[in-house]
Amino acid sequence: MHYQHNRTLALFYCQNVPGAGERERIGLEKEYGQCIRFYPIACSGRLEPVHLLSALENFADAAYLITCPEGMCRYFEGNLRAIKRVMRTQDIISGIGLEKERVGIITGSKEGPKTLAELAKEIFDKVLQMEPSPVLGKGERSYDYCATEAH
Amino acid sequence: MITAQQKPIDEIRGMLVPYKRILVLGCASCVAECAAGGQKETAMLASTLRMKAKMNNEDVIIQEHTLDRQCVKDFVVTLDDIIGSYDAVLSLGCGAGVQAVAEMFSEIPVIPGLNTEFIGETRAQGLWVENCLGCGDCMLYYFGGVCPLARCSKQLFNGPCGGSVGGKCEINPDVDCAWQKIIDRLSRFGALDRLETIYPPKNWSRKQGGGPRKIIREDQQR
Amino acid sequence: MKDVSRLKSVLEKGGFAVTSECGPPKGADPQAVLRKTELLRGKVDSVNVTDNQTAIVRMSSLAACCLIKKAGLDPVLQMVVRDRNRIALQSDILGASAIGIRNVLCLSGDHQSFGNQPDAVGVFDLDSIQFVQAVRNMRDQGIIVGGEPLSHPPDMFTGAAANPFADPMDFRVVRLAKKINAGADFIQTQCIYNMERFDRWLGIARDRGLTEKAYILGGVTPLKSAGMARYMKTRVSGMDVPDQLIRRMEGVSKDKQREEGISICVETIERLKQTPGIRGVHIMAIEWEEAVGEIAERAGLLPRPVIDDQ
Ligand code: SF4
Ligand code: SF4
Repeated sequence: MHYQHNRTLALFYCQNVPGAGERERIGLEKEYGQCIRFYPIACSGRLEPVHLLSALENFADAAYLITCPEGMCRYFEGNLRAIKRVMRTQDIISGIGLEKERVGIITGSKEGPKTLAELAKEIFDKVLQMEPSPVLGKGERSYDYCATEAH
Repeated sequence: MITAQQKPIDEIRGMLVPYKRILVLGCASCVAECAAGGQKETAMLASTLRMKAKMNNEDVIIQEHTLDRQCVKDFVVTLDDIIGSYDAVLSLGCGAGVQAVAEMFSEIPVIPGLNTEFIGETRAQGLWVENCLGCGDCMLYYFGGVCPLARCSKQLFNGPCGGSVGGKCEINPDVDCAWQKIIDRLSRFGALDRLETIYPPKNWSRKQGGGPRKIIREDQQR
Repeated sequence: MKDVSRLKSVLEKGGFAVTSECGPPKGADPQAVLRKTELLRGKVDSVNVTDNQTAIVRMSSLAACCLIKKAGLDPVLQMVVRDRNRIALQSDILGASAIGIRNVLCLSGDHQSFGNQPDAVGVFDLDSIQFVQAVRNMRDQGIIVGGEPLSHPPDMFTGAAANPFADPMDFRVVRLAKKINAGADFIQTQCIYNMERFDRWLGIARDRGLTEKAYILGGVTPLKSAGMARYMKTRVSGMDVPDQLIRRMEGVSKDKQREEGISICVETIERLKQTPGIRGVHIMAIEWEEAVGEIAERAGLLPRPVIDDQ
């Protein structure tokens, strides 16, 4: 599959999400190239708004977080905290005139759990519908930034 | 500790209009504890400001730095090496931090990024409550450890007023009535009789009445 | 003519005092005060003049008292500690006394957040009890807060308010005792709808000898409608309106509710007259001064006694 290179998604995800192993990630990275940057995290509750903001500032048109299903968090309520932090980040970006949808959170469902690959596709399809981020402009994205602190 | 909240982004940007090289300066003490001006919040605000500047094609440099304590001269001095590169400081310290930086670096404008709120306590994660006005003459002994100045809406020394109902203050059912707490606590210690005598008018000269306050301790001086 | 407090004279002679209240206008027209005053002339002994009630900016209580005084009635100057520090409060007491005002009611005041100036600073330098004490010290010892002497003491019959219906219940009488110990000559209570609860409160006060130390006037407010009764119950903190009273108001048709409200009020006054330790009634007919005459009449409070020395 080939994607055009003028949208980038920063995708943070809880390692508890099905199909989120090392091997799968490498496969997905091959598939999406630089269009999706994958950041596995031990617990979604550890994600800070500043990680989402740095991604938006430096390379991403959108920054999303996939948490483990509700009630399945290894760290008890990490995913619930994550929702509040994502909401706060949405408030911050809408304060400077960016669309709220550039930041989002997907909580996996316990009944019909989707794999990382399925979710990544769903979210990226959404990103493709968005205008390029006014922070980054319309041109090709540059990739010299690495949001390593999110790991 | 001192609590604070970040000012609205538009207000901050309004104050920064004339400046091109801005240092966003955090403080890792009180305002970090109340998640308003610590390292994390400083990074967030700086990032947000840079994004907005990029969106508007503004040609500005915005960098961040956090001091351990912005209200202590020994820490503020460390800015000496870097401050020359900027034409304004956006301080995320409390009012005391902002002024300590301004006092030391008289040539550079120091802009407050926070609204300093009150002396308070972190009662739970994400919950800070006011409980001291720094009146200079602590009366907590008489009032069972509950401050009637900071926690009673009408600062009653001989409360409660006629609006106290079910432990809540008349101004808002979300506000606890301080006087209910005072009475509950004193009666638990069997010390309710402390409240039978009339508490006399407060000596406010120990607070703002005497002009700006200062503490001088010669034994602490070098 | 010597300025004397009519309220004090009636009470000292053992009479059952009747006071009412007049809220100054949200404007500078003296007629607005005088019109209300006329409705009360001859029906009450004294008229309380509210002080920026519910924290809404109105003509000053002191000025309105002055108008009422000139019209020949006996005003009770209400003063709240919300808006003035001890310098202004004491200065206004001297001024009020100088122009012949002889009664003051010392209050905390409604919080500024309720009114039309929610951005105002609340002063609360003294609280109402400290203020009562300050006035009494000015009058009886000729000294101001801090002990400095006055060249001429003010003459003020000094009152305070009490709310028997607020919490914590057990502490309410303690607070009354503090007000009386601070020097309150008279007490006006919050409006009474729950007579049983009021009796309990007063019983404890009587046992502590408080009814011998100060004149207690029971407060009443005629209900205009069932809606007002419900509003008072749910929205005004420290107000106890029993459900049975609300049902009684709801039980009559809308056009009869005012009359029913007056009847309830008259019944309450009848009971207060029989209650040992109650020395008068304070009728607060909010924006309904017309009702005061009828209530006083039906409760057998008219004519008001003639006071010789006035
Ligand atoms: S009495 Fe004064 S010092 Fe003590 S807690 Fe209250 S405001 Fe602070
Ligand atoms: S209700 Fe309690 S806290 Fe509120 S003003 Fe009255 S005494 Fe103070």
